[in-house]
Amino acid sequence: MRKHLDDIHFDEEENEINLTPMLDVVFIMLIFFIVTASFIKESGIDVNRPDAPMTESKPEDANILVRITGNDEIWIDRRLIDPRAVRANIERLHAENPEGSVVIQANRKSTNKILVQVMDSARQAGVYSVSIADAR
Amino acid sequence: MRRKQGSLHLEEEENEINLTPMLDVVFIMLIFFIVTATFIKEAGIQVERPDTTMADTQDDASILIAISQSDEIWIDRQERDPRAIRGIIERMHAENPKGSIVIQADEGSTHEMLVIVMDAAKAAGVSNVAIASDNDG
Repeated sequence: MRKHLDDIHFDEEENEINLTPMLDVVFIMLIFFIVTASFIKESGIDVNRPDAPMTESKPEDANILVRITGNDEIWIDRRLIDPRAVRANIERLHAENPEGSVVIQANRKSTNKILVQVMDSARQAGVYSVSIADAR
Repeated sequence: MRRKQGSLHLEEEENEINLTPMLDVVFIMLIFFIVTATFIKEAGIQVERPDTTMADTQDDASILIAISQSDEIWIDRQERDPRAIRGIIERMHAENPKGSIVIQADEGSTHEMLVIVMDAAKAAGVSNVAIASDNDG
């Protein structure tokens, strides 16, 4: 009798949950989340850098003013500038006045392509503080 | 000799990898990634982004706003009215306060619409705004 009881007890001792399929599922989910966590990477130009102080008042003359007309023409210092020459002009003006930031006054009808191009040129010239002013 | 080897082999037959601690570690990592994952809502349309060389990767972009070539604003796969953008941004920003806004403006979209979107973002209280670009350089 006792031996019989021991046998039954021994059989039910072996109730293992089959861990292998569960581990597979968990690994798949983990890999999914790791992969999707790093996929969405937009590259863009910061319009508002959070670490830059929000300076409202700057001496007007100290800034590098770039005007974009409705026809996507770029005017710096009352001269029409070719888009490829913008970087050199900003570099020159920045060298004359290292404190100044670039202020872009774009006409409402101008395209964003030229705006981004000017911002990119400013960055290439080494000026990272660019602000967009309202052109009425 | 064979008998001895036989019994040794039988003892090593039981080499189970102890799955329980590994499962614990894997569960912890999984929960970590689930909690830190925020699901970004795509804008809904494809735009022709302007080319740049000096753009930065926007790591914490969570709100995507697309401006099409004809100045339509698309958020979360629907076209939106410009006046309603502020409310939408406020709502999405409340879901994920640390997220930044990325404006996917088409090359041919006007500056006016960009300013409208940026003003709405500012009014909604989000200061971290970037314009999406195609960074080849």
